[in-house]
Amino acid sequence: MKILTAFKAVPDPDGDPRAAAAAANARWVINYFDAIALEEAVRLRERGAAAQVVAVTIGPPRVEEQVRAALAMGADRAVRVDDERPVDPYFVAQVLQAVVQREAPGLVILGKQAVDDDSNQVGQMLAGRLGWPQATFVSRLELSDGGARARCTRETDAGLQVVEVRLPAVITTDLRLNEPRYVSLPALIKARRQAIELLSVAQLSPAARPRTRVLRTEPAASRPPGTRVTSVAELVTRLREEAKVL
Amino acid sequence: MDFAWSSSQRELFDAVVAFARKELGRELIQRDAQGTFDREGWTKCGQMGIPGLPVPEEYGGAGQDALTTVGALEHLGYACRDNGLTFSLNAHLWTAVMPLVAFGTEEQKRRFLPGLADGRLIGGNAMSEPQAGSDAYSLRTTAVQDGAHYVLNGSKIYVTNGPVADLLVVFATLDRARGAPAITAFLVQRDTPGMTVGRKLEKMGLRTSPMAELFFEDCRVPAENRLGREGAGTSLFTHSMNWERGCILATAVGSMRYLLERCIRFARERKQFGQAIGKFQLVATRIVDMQLRLTTARHLLYYGGWLRSQGKTAILEAAMAKLYLSEAWVQSCQDAIQIHGGAGYMVEYEVERELRDALGSRLYSGTNEIQRTLIASLLGL
Repeated sequence: MKILTAFKAVPDPDGDPRAAAAAANARWVINYFDAIALEEAVRLRERGAAAQVVAVTIGPPRVEEQVRAALAMGADRAVRVDDERPVDPYFVAQVLQAVVQREAPGLVILGKQAVDDDSNQVGQMLAGRLGWPQATFVSRLELSDGGARARCTRETDAGLQVVEVRLPAVITTDLRLNEPRYVSLPALIKARRQAIELLSVAQLSPAARPRTRVLRTEPAASRPPGTRVTSVAELVTRLREEAKVL
Repeated sequence: MDFAWSSSQRELFDAVVAFARKELGRELIQRDAQGTFDREGWTKCGQMGIPGLPVPEEYGGAGQDALTTVGALEHLGYACRDNGLTFSLNAHLWTAVMPLVAFGTEEQKRRFLPGLADGRLIGGNAMSEPQAGSDAYSLRTTAVQDGAHYVLNGSKIYVTNGPVADLLVVFATLDRARGAPAITAFLVQRDTPGMTVGRKLEKMGLRTSPMAELFFEDCRVPAENRLGREGAGTSLFTHSMNWERGCILATAVGSMRYLLERCIRFARERKQFGQAIGKFQLVATRIVDMQLRLTTARHLLYYGGWLRSQGKTAILEAAMAKLYLSEAWVQSCQDAIQIHGGAGYMVEYEVERELRDALGSRLYSGTNEIQRTLIASLLGL
């Protein structure tokens, strides 16, 4: 079975938030939920449940560093759909649908959302467009029925829910599914020599275009610094008299 | 002349920093007090590929040149506060791995390098003896050939990684009367009968890097474990010391960067007499000197690494790097303590440990007196 995973290069959420706002200077990383998706796919292949892992992204040449990181993590092949427009969920779902039709994977694993825009829509839209079953927010994934089905534990507000989907299906990952591995230095070096396959939106889905226009992004207002108190008595007094919460 | 790292080098360094910040240096105050080696951290460094950085890819390493390797180690020293662990890695790299890469037979390389490169094996080196320190070639440990073996007798001291090493490069003489030309190196594996690891030595700093004495009593080493030909010990030692001097303090440059950034942060935040102490010129000039030392040290380190990467010799540069980087590291540690005031002297602030860890650098890989002597002789004096 072939597994297709997609990932988005996002500004490093652990980096300087001002740099993230000024994307030009940001340090880019693979969206963490997508790294979890890729890790899961690689683990399935390592356990013999899959034969090939293909990692796909949409982005300009700048994201090739993250594409190589995906190869170093263990993807067998990497595809970059060359496009420099800011993406939105429907556009991504359209493009991924075309990639899925080209690659014919038995399973698609995606992060549940990207940490930069927090849309949380691509997996659902993609499954809808493909007419495939979906399991979202998955924290545990087991293949059953000789690889014909996937038992997925979903994290919901009500608790852990177990669903079973028939493959091919779209699965989106939650935080607790796994902890992505560190990319070793030899793997990074080896990934430099691997080819990255290039596709274009024109080839895949000529009518697709991003429809969302971001009007404005502002950095979050900075909070005033806290103060240090020297005793519990002072804390209580100030909570009562200054903060007026007691 | 090009001073920029390539994007692939920066990618490696970023990966090292992210890894070290997350995985290394746990419970360090406690482990420093107890002198506990971080075996788990070592294994993770191995999986990351750090001990295999300069090892050719055909033997399971990353196949990086000297300059990239010291760059990666500088970043490791910056992000990992466990200077003992990085010292153990340095000893492994420069006194076991590189001699094996340079002098090992094909069979020896195939047998040992993959394990040394991925951290399954820990390497070390046994040269110093109680009576043979700076006068290294006056060693008394003997090796006598007996059929397909050499029989080793004697003792070694200050063996970094001794208590945990799987493979040691041991220097012995075939004939005490013949002096330096009789010195020969051997690869001795852990648990070889006749080799005992003595008590763990308590140190002032680098306490998380284990060190021991070694005793050889009719220790039979297979002849195929001789490293280099008979009598090649001195050229092997000189070669390995040259690498060691030039590269071992890459991690110290990283530590200096860490201390500088910490001091800048502290001097901006700490207020006395109504203003940040960094506004006082006495504090500011100390930090300026730390920056100056860091930049000078870094350029010396990179230049030596660049020469090696070009296949050129770097004997003078290696001696200067060892001498200057160690003095600069110690001075910057002292400055960091002074800037932090009383807090800097407290164990919990983790500044004083850096000084204790730094002080040994003026002694190991040849004392700084030996470096000056070497530089003077290279200058024709």
